[in-house]
Amino acid sequence: MLKYKKKKLALRYVILAILISIILFLVIFSYTLKTDRKLNKVESLIKDVIVFSQKIVYVPFNYLSDKVSDFSKLKDVEKENDILNTSLDRMSSIEAENVELRRQIEKLKEELNIDYVLTDYEYLNATVVSRNIGYWYNTITLDKGSYSGVEVDMVVINAKGLIGKVISTTTFTSEVRLITTNDSNNKISVLVSDGNNKVYGLLNKYDYDTNTLKIEGISNTLQVNIGDMVYTSGMGGVFPSGILIGKVNAITTDEYDLAKIINVTPSADFNDINFVSILKRKSDEK
Amino acid sequence: MIIAIIALVISFFLESITSCFFPNSLNMISYFTTIYTIITLVVLYPYFDNNKKYYMLLVIFGILFDIIYTNTFLLNIVLFFIVSLFVRFINYHLATNLLNINIISIIAIIIYHLFSYFILEVIGYLQYPFMLFINIISHSLIMTIIYTTILYLILKKVYMHVNIKTIR
Repeated sequence: MLKYKKKKLALRYVILAILISIILFLVIFSYTLKTDRKLNKVESLIKDVIVFSQKIVYVPFNYLSDKVSDFSKLKDVEKENDILNTSLDRMSSIEAENVELRRQIEKLKEELNIDYVLTDYEYLNATVVSRNIGYWYNTITLDKGSYSGVEVDMVVINAKGLIGKVISTTTFTSEVRLITTNDSNNKISVLVSDGNNKVYGLLNKYDYDTNTLKIEGISNTLQVNIGDMVYTSGMGGVFPSGILIGKVNAITTDEYDLAKIINVTPSADFNDINFVSILKRKSDEK
Repeated sequence: MIIAIIALVISFFLESITSCFFPNSLNMISYFTTIYTIITLVVLYPYFDNNKKYYMLLVIFGILFDIIYTNTFLLNIVLFFIVSLFVRFINYHLATNLLNINIISIIAIIIYHLFSYFILEVIGYLQYPFMLFINIISHSLIMTIIYTTILYLILKKVYMHVNIKTIR
C-alpha cells in the first residue's frame, strides 16, 4: 500500500516536472523567437566558421551548376548580344538623363524635406549560402555580415524587387527574413500606383494558398486596378520608398464591404534567389 | 563513433547545399527536400549501444542546427530530443531493416514538423495554415525515402567493412 502511494506521488511529481518544463521551454522559445535574439560571440564565431567551410564545400557544386547553366544559356547568347548592342548605343543618352534626374531628385528632396530616397542607398552585393532550412522560419543566410557594414533592419532586394530585411548578423553572415512571412509584427507600408494615381496601404500577410501578398486598409472608394504596380511607400522608416514589390492580380473586399483586399503577385522569384543586394545608407558610412 | 560523426557532418552540410539547388521556400516547396540531419540520427540509432554518446551527438547537432540554420535557441535540441524518444520507442518494437528504417524516418520527419508547427502556433510567432504542414510533409516524402535508403545501405556496408556492430 505504502509502495503504491509512493509510486503515485512520484508520478505526480514527474507530471508536474514535465508540465513546468513545457511551460518554461515555451516561454524561452517565445522570448527568443519574438525578440529576434542576437547571437552571442561564441555563437557568432561558430556560425562564421561553419558558413565559411560551407562556402568551401560549395565550390565544386557551384562550378558544376554554373557550367550546366552556361551550357543551357549558350543558344541565347547571339540574341542577347544583339539586344545588348542596341542598349549600348543608348548608354550615353541614358547617362545624361540620369545626371538630370539626380539633379531633379536633390532639388525635390530639398523642397519636400525628405531625408532618404532610393538613390541615397549603396548596393552591397551578397550571395545566398543557405535557404530556409527547417522550413518554418522563412529566412535565407547571406555571406556578408557586420564586417561589411550590414546591420539589422537593412533592406534586401534583388534585380526583380523586394526580398526582405536583415534580422540578425554575425561578423561574416547575415540572416534575412523574407517578405513572404506572416509576421504580424512586420507590416510594410506600400504604395499602389498605375503611373498617375497613388493609393497607400499596408502589406498584411502572405497567402500560401494563392501564393500572393495581401494588402489591406485601402478604402473601397479608392481606385485600384488589376495590373497596378506595388512599391514600398517609405513610411515606417525601415523600407525606403520606391522598391518594387509586385503587381496587383486580384481585388476583393472585406466582410463589411468597406475596404479593399488586394492580392499582389511578388515580382521576385523566391525560389531562385542566389544573389541579392543589401541596401546601405550612403551617409551611414560617414 | 567517427563514422557516425562523419555521416552527421555530411548530412548537416547537405542541408544547406541542397537548399540552394532544390527550393524549399514556403510558397513552392520542392519534392526533393527533407531534413537530412534527422534522417541520419534515425539511421544511426540502431548502431548505438551507448545511449549517452547518441544523445551527446544529438545535442551537439541540435545546437548547431539552432545557431546555423534556424537562428533559434534550444528549439531544435528539444525537437531532436522529442524525435529521438519516438525513434527509440519504435525501434524497440520494430526490427532493423530497410523498410522499417524508412517508416521510422518518415515518422521522425512528420514528428519534427508537427512539433515545430505546434510550438510556433502556440507561442504565436508566425501564423501558418494547417495545409502548409500537410504540404511540407507530402513534399518531404520522396527525398526522405531516397536519403534514408542510400544512407542505410552505405552505413551498413561501412560498418560491416570495419567490423563494428554497435557503438559502445
